[in-house]
Amino acid sequence: MVRHRADGLLAVLLATVAATATAAERPLEVLATTTVVADLVKQVGGSRVAVASLMADGVDPHSYRATPRDADRLMRADLIVANGLHLEGKLAQLLDRLSRRRPVVAVAEAVPTGSLLPIGNGLYDPHVWFDAALWSHCPAAVAAALAEQDPAGAAGYTQRADAYAARLRRLDTAIRTRLATIPPARRVLITAHDAFRYFGRAYGLEVVGVQGTSTESEAGLADMNRLVELVVNRGIPAVFVETSVSDRNVTALREGAAARGQPVALGGRLYSDALGPAGSDGETLEAALLANVETIVATLGGPPRPTPGTRE
Amino acid sequence: MNLRPATESPASSSTGSIPLLEWHDLTVAYGRRPVLWNVDLEIASPCLFGIIGPNGAGKSTLLKASLGLVPVTGGSVRFWGEPLSRVRRRLAYVPQRETVDWDFPVSVMDVVLMGAASQLGWFRRAGRRERELAGDCLDRVGLTDLAGRQIGRLSGGQQQRVFLARALAREADIYFLDEPMAGVDAGSQEQIFAILAGLRDAGKLVVAVHHDLQTAARWFDAAALIDMRLVAAGPTAEVLTPENLEQTYAGRRGILDELGRAVARGVRTP
Amino acid sequence: MMLPAILAFGLPYNTLVVAAGVAAVGGAAGVVGGLSVLRGRALSGDAAAHATLVGVAGALLATGQRSLAVLLAGGLVAAVAAVGLLVLIRRFTRTRDDAATATVLSVSFGLGIVLISGMVARGVPGSAGLERFLLGHTAALTASDALLLGLVSAAAIACVAIGLKEATMVAFDPAFAAAAGWPAAAIDMVLVALVAVMVVVGLPAAGAVLVTALVVIPPVAARQWTDRIVPLLAIAGVIGVVSGLAGVVISSLAPRLPTGPVVVLLAAGWLAVSLVVAPSRGLIARWRARRGPRPDAPSLVSGRDG
Repeated sequence: MVRHRADGLLAVLLATVAATATAAERPLEVLATTTVVADLVKQVGGSRVAVASLMADGVDPHSYRATPRDADRLMRADLIVANGLHLEGKLAQLLDRLSRRRPVVAVAEAVPTGSLLPIGNGLYDPHVWFDAALWSHCPAAVAAALAEQDPAGAAGYTQRADAYAARLRRLDTAIRTRLATIPPARRVLITAHDAFRYFGRAYGLEVVGVQGTSTESEAGLADMNRLVELVVNRGIPAVFVETSVSDRNVTALREGAAARGQPVALGGRLYSDALGPAGSDGETLEAALLANVETIVATLGGPPRPTPGTRE
Repeated sequence: MNLRPATESPASSSTGSIPLLEWHDLTVAYGRRPVLWNVDLEIASPCLFGIIGPNGAGKSTLLKASLGLVPVTGGSVRFWGEPLSRVRRRLAYVPQRETVDWDFPVSVMDVVLMGAASQLGWFRRAGRRERELAGDCLDRVGLTDLAGRQIGRLSGGQQQRVFLARALAREADIYFLDEPMAGVDAGSQEQIFAILAGLRDAGKLVVAVHHDLQTAARWFDAAALIDMRLVAAGPTAEVLTPENLEQTYAGRRGILDELGRAVARGVRTP
Repeated sequence: MMLPAILAFGLPYNTLVVAAGVAAVGGAAGVVGGLSVLRGRALSGDAAAHATLVGVAGALLATGQRSLAVLLAGGLVAAVAAVGLLVLIRRFTRTRDDAATATVLSVSFGLGIVLISGMVARGVPGSAGLERFLLGHTAALTASDALLLGLVSAAAIACVAIGLKEATMVAFDPAFAAAAGWPAAAIDMVLVALVAVMVVVGLPAAGAVLVTALVVIPPVAARQWTDRIVPLLAIAGVIGVVSGLAGVVISSLAPRLPTGPVVVLLAAGWLAVSLVVAPSRGLIARWRARRGPRPDAPSLVSGRDG
C-alpha cells in the first residue's frame, strides 16, 4: 500500500513539473485589432508570441463593430494591440474599458505627435503605416509592451524590433526611389477613401480620396463632382480601388470622367486598411506596400521593375 | 324555442319553387367560440327581411358569412339553390358605415362609380354606361346635387344613401345591408326605407340587419330574431312577440318588455 | 458616352445621373405610397426597408456572393415577406397595425444584425459592414443604376395606373370589394409588395431613410391639397420628383453634404408648407373659417339637411 501511495505522489509531482515547464514554454497570446497591427506584432514577437487578428483580411476597421465573442477573445488575451488614433472607431469604448483589466497598447501613438497629420477636432489621421519611416517608430512600442508581459523574452523582442525598424527604414528608401520614376505631372493618387495621406506626404504624391479619412462618412455629390473636375482637368490616367472598401464611389467617378470624354482607367486594387490573405502578395505590411507601389507605378508611369533573378 | 324553418311573404306561395335564399344549419365560430349556431331558414320570395337581435348576437356575422367574408364552420348558404361563387354578380352588400374611412379622398360620384364598375372585368374602367348608371342611382337616392362632394363632408343619412346608391349600381337581385339606419335621423330613415320598399316592389330581396324594434315592426314584411341561434322567423308581427323578445333580450327587460307589448298590439309610437 | 453640354443645363454628369435616379424613386414612391398611406399602411415602407437587411444577409450567407443583384434579390424576398406578414397579421389577428409594424420591423432588423454579426465573427468574406447597405450611396449612382431605378419606377407607376380601379376599391372598402367577388386580400398584397419593391430598389441608391420618407411624406402633403384620388397620387408623385431633383442639386453645392437627408428635408418642408397653407385643410384656412362670420340660425321649417 505504501508503494501505491508513493507511485501516486510521483505521478502528481511529475505532472506538476510538466505543467510548470509547459507554462514557461507557452507562447504569449496577443490579440491585435487589424491585420496590419498583427503583422507588426508578429515581426517583433517572433516565435514567443502567438498573434491573432480580431478583424479578418478585407475587413474595414473604421466600421467594424465588436461582437460578444470578440469581447471574450479580447478578455482572454495576454496583451491587446491596437492601432489607435481612432482607426478602430467603433471599438474605442470597448478598448477603453478593457484597458483597465488587460494590457492594451496603441502602436500608432508611438509616432511623435508632430509627425502626425491633424484632421480637425483635435484628431489625427490614423493611417500611419503607409509611411514606412513613421511606422518604424512603432516596433519599439510593441517590444516594450511584450517585454512587460514576458520579461524573459525582452532581449529578443528588442533585438527583433530594432531589426524590423531598420528594415522599415530601408523599405522607405526603396519605395521613394521606385515612386520617383513617376513623372511629376502624373503624381496624383486617387483612391476610394483618404487612407494614403501619409503615403502621399512621405513619397511626394498628391492624394485624394473620394470618401474622407473614415469610410463612415458618405461621399457627397459635391465631392464627387469636384473629383471628376480634378481628374479631367489634370489629365489623370488612373484611379485606384481598395481591398477593404466598396468600389462604388470609384466606379461613379470613372463614369463621370468618361462622360466628359476623358475616360480614366482603373489602376488596380490597393491594400489600404487591411492586408491580404495568406499566400497573396499583401500578406505582410512590407509585401503589401511593395505591391501597392508596383500597382501605382505600373499605372502612373515609370519603367517596369526588374523581376528578381534578372541581371541588370 | 320557437323555430320557423321557412318563411313566406303574405303575397306569394312557395311550394315546390327554389328559395331565393336558404341558410342551412349555418354555424360560424371563431376558434372555439360559436357566433352563429345551426341557423336554418329559407326566404322564398322577394320581401323586406329584417335580421333582429341584441348586440353581439351574430347578426352582422350572418350577413358576412352569407357573402363569404368570414369562414363558415358548418352548414351552407344557397342563393336560388346555387352556391355563392356562382351568383356573386347578383348580390350587393352595404356594410356598416364605420367600416370605412370617410376621410378617403373620393367624391359621392366616385363611390357610386365603384359600385357600377365592380361588375367590370380586370383593369377595365368605368365608361359612359357606368356613369349613366351611377347618375341614375344617385338620382334614386336623391343625392344628385352632392355628386361632387367629398364623402367626409356628408351627414350620416347622406353617407348611408351613398352606400345604398353604390349597392344599387350593382343592379343586384339580393341586397344585404348591415345596420342601414344606424346613426341616421328619422327623416332620412324614412327616405331610405322608401328606397328599400321600392326594391322589394321591383321583385328584389332586401335583407337588412336592424337594431330598432319599433321601426322593425313597421317596415319589415318578415324578420328573423337571432341570438346566436335562430329564435324565431316569419312575418314580423308573429316574430316580435313579447315572449320571443323576452327570451332573446333576457336581462334587458323593462322597457323592451313594454316595447314588445306595444309592437304586438300594433301601437304606433311617434 | 458624351453628354451634349446644352442638355445638361450646365450641371455635371454625376449630378444629372443622381438626379435622374432620385427623381424616379421620388416620383414612384409618392404614387405607390399614396395608396399605401390611404390604406393606413404608411409605415409598411419602413418595415420593408428594415426587413431588407435580413434578406441581404441571408443572400450573402446562402450564395457567398456580394454582388448587388444577389443582395437585392435577397432583400426583395425579405421585404415582400415582411409586408406580406403585416397583411396577414391584420387579416387574421386582432393585433393593431402600429404594433404589428413595429414588431415586424424590429424583429427582422434584429435578425439581420444578428446574422451579419455571426457572419463577421466567422470571417465570412464580404460580411463586414453589410449593414451599411441600408444607408445607400446616393452620390455614387451610376448611369446603369439610374436606368434600373427609372425602369422599376415606371413599371410601378404603370401598375398603379392600370390597376387603379381595383386598388382604390380595395383601399376604400375591402369588404364591399370582397363581397363583389374581387380577391381583396390578393390585391392588398400586390399593393404592399409594390411598396416593398420600390423600397428595395431604391435602397442602394438612396438609403432606407430616404425611401421610407418618400413613400410617406409626399402623399400626406398631397392630401392637404386635393380630395380626389388621381390628383392626390399625381401631386404626391410631383412632390417626390421635385424634392428629389431640388435635393440633389442643392446637395451638390456644398461639400460633404449627403444627398438623401437633403431630399427628405425638402419633402418635409413641402409637408410643413402644405399643412399650413393648403386651402380648406390648411391651418390658416381653418383658422380663418373659425373666425369668419357666424352662421345664420337654421330655419325651423326646412329642418335638418339629412
